[in-house]
Amino acid sequence: MRDFLELAVSAAASGCVYGLVALAYLLIMRPTGIVNFAVGEWAMLGAFGAYVASSVVQLPYAAGVAAVLLAMVAAGWLTERIAVRPLVERGAPVLAPILALLGMLVVFRESISLMFSPDPYPVPYAFGFGRLELGPLAGSYQSFFIIAVSLVVFAATWLFFERTLAGKCFEAVALNRRAAALMGINLARVTTLSFAAGAAVAGLAGVVAGANISAHYLMGVPLAIQGFTALVVGGVGRVEGALLGGLLLAFAEQLTIRYAPIPAGYAQGVPFLLLMLFLLLRPTGLLSARERSG
Amino acid sequence: MKAAARWAGTALVLSAVAFLLSPYYNDVYRKLLLWITLALSYNFLFGVCGQIAFSHFTFYGIGAYAVVILIFQLGLPLPVAIVAGTALCALVALAAAIPSTRLEGFYLGLATLALAQLFIVVLNEGGTLTGGTGGLANYRLPKVFGFELSGPRYTVVIVLLLIGTFALLARLDHSWFGRACRAVRDNPEAAAAMGVNVARTKVIAFAVTSALAGAAGMVYAFVDNTVNPPIFGLENAFLLLFMVIVGGAGRHAGAVAGAVFLFLLPFVLSPLIGHHHVLVFGVLMVAAIVLQPRGLIGIYDELRRRIA
Repeated sequence: MRDFLELAVSAAASGCVYGLVALAYLLIMRPTGIVNFAVGEWAMLGAFGAYVASSVVQLPYAAGVAAVLLAMVAAGWLTERIAVRPLVERGAPVLAPILALLGMLVVFRESISLMFSPDPYPVPYAFGFGRLELGPLAGSYQSFFIIAVSLVVFAATWLFFERTLAGKCFEAVALNRRAAALMGINLARVTTLSFAAGAAVAGLAGVVAGANISAHYLMGVPLAIQGFTALVVGGVGRVEGALLGGLLLAFAEQLTIRYAPIPAGYAQGVPFLLLMLFLLLRPTGLLSARERSG
Repeated sequence: MKAAARWAGTALVLSAVAFLLSPYYNDVYRKLLLWITLALSYNFLFGVCGQIAFSHFTFYGIGAYAVVILIFQLGLPLPVAIVAGTALCALVALAAAIPSTRLEGFYLGLATLALAQLFIVVLNEGGTLTGGTGGLANYRLPKVFGFELSGPRYTVVIVLLLIGTFALLARLDHSWFGRACRAVRDNPEAAAAMGVNVARTKVIAFAVTSALAGAAGMVYAFVDNTVNPPIFGLENAFLLLFMVIVGGAGRHAGAVAGAVFLFLLPFVLSPLIGHHHVLVFGVLMVAAIVLQPRGLIGIYDELRRRIA
């Protein structure tokens, strides 16, 4: 039982990271319909940003994270300007920006590999390395920090969609682009904002996860697959689905590694199997999108 | 009859080239021919039928591993192994394609991406059967009807594979099936209204092109005489997609141009920028989609129109 509770904390922490990546997908997919597979590379950029901020510029942790998030907003805006807006303005099919973003994925990854060597780079812990015990639950400081940060981000996103006018605009565009445009919502601005916000959330995932796995130029695609699996498991329509999907995926992974009588290598296949099963059997995910009338 | 003569002539010229090249350039030439073969079949799936899949290299890998395992681990004769390997590819392709037709657009891409990654996990964990992360090596192509196929003579086999693939795809493209594929790509609802069975068209296109990739994989297995997991991973699946898009999706000439261009580009670029040619691939991919969606072949068309 102790063993399981310890596992639960670390699984919840990685689940929150998957959830954040899933949220980055969701923020872009809801209003635009674009599956942005480059979110994993954004997380990689965030992790490298945290390394540069702490080890090269030597900023304090909070200032470093703030600087990284600002840079990520700029990166998201730039990505949208280069690879999405020209295509949307031309009226290209929705697959065109998706493919252009795959090209951007390679551009981000190779740019980083050009600037840094292929070694892992250390990303700072928020509160150093230590172990915290809360009753029966125990884990590293960083695990608890990741869980807390993710809960704050998810709560803020939920409030944004439910309680603010800007959030309602996003939701309106997601439900019906034409009607939203006719109601005076600026579609181009919503698209730009969704990319900026998606990049910031993905970057944050990279910053907090990077402390455990280090910044490496190849870390993007695995995170992108895990994040997308979380999104599909939870349901592409709702913010809380992303978190639920992330947690389920992480628990499935960790429980397989810990308890299933198969070689550990096969446990790497768990997200792929889950992704295929959910895509084929339950493409709407566990939580389906809210009804249009609601 | 004229068409057959043209295919035979092309095969003859491409084969003759192999006998003029040194062993090193023969190796480069073989890989170029294989990339063109793969780009042609992938173009039919992605460019003509509009299905975005990342599993093409997985089927290439299944073909390569299947023929090696069947011959050298199970001791089957070569012809039986080839038939069994092709059947295996078609079977896996059908098993993957039939449920996948429910997926639209990029969701098919992600499901096949998961399949591709799962294949790599199985290869890495397959123990002595797949050779694990190191793969299988140290085998030689058995004699075929008493002939030893090596050097330029094996390159001729690859030329025949390329011509066979091209001829089959060109015939398919010009038949009702090719038109059905294009209709399904451009507007599935309209295609269905015109009496095209959308699901069946997608499944057949996926299975046929995947089986062609598997056949190419079987030929590849005896090019380097080694098969290992990284060759069949995501990197090459992405590169194949880039080739077809940069060349010009939906046209055979585009697939050939893209494959030749992106395959030869690193040879020109490595002396200048070392291993960072992949960055150039990414930039070209974005530029192709944003600036010239019809790819290299579109640029060629435009130039010809201006000169005429």
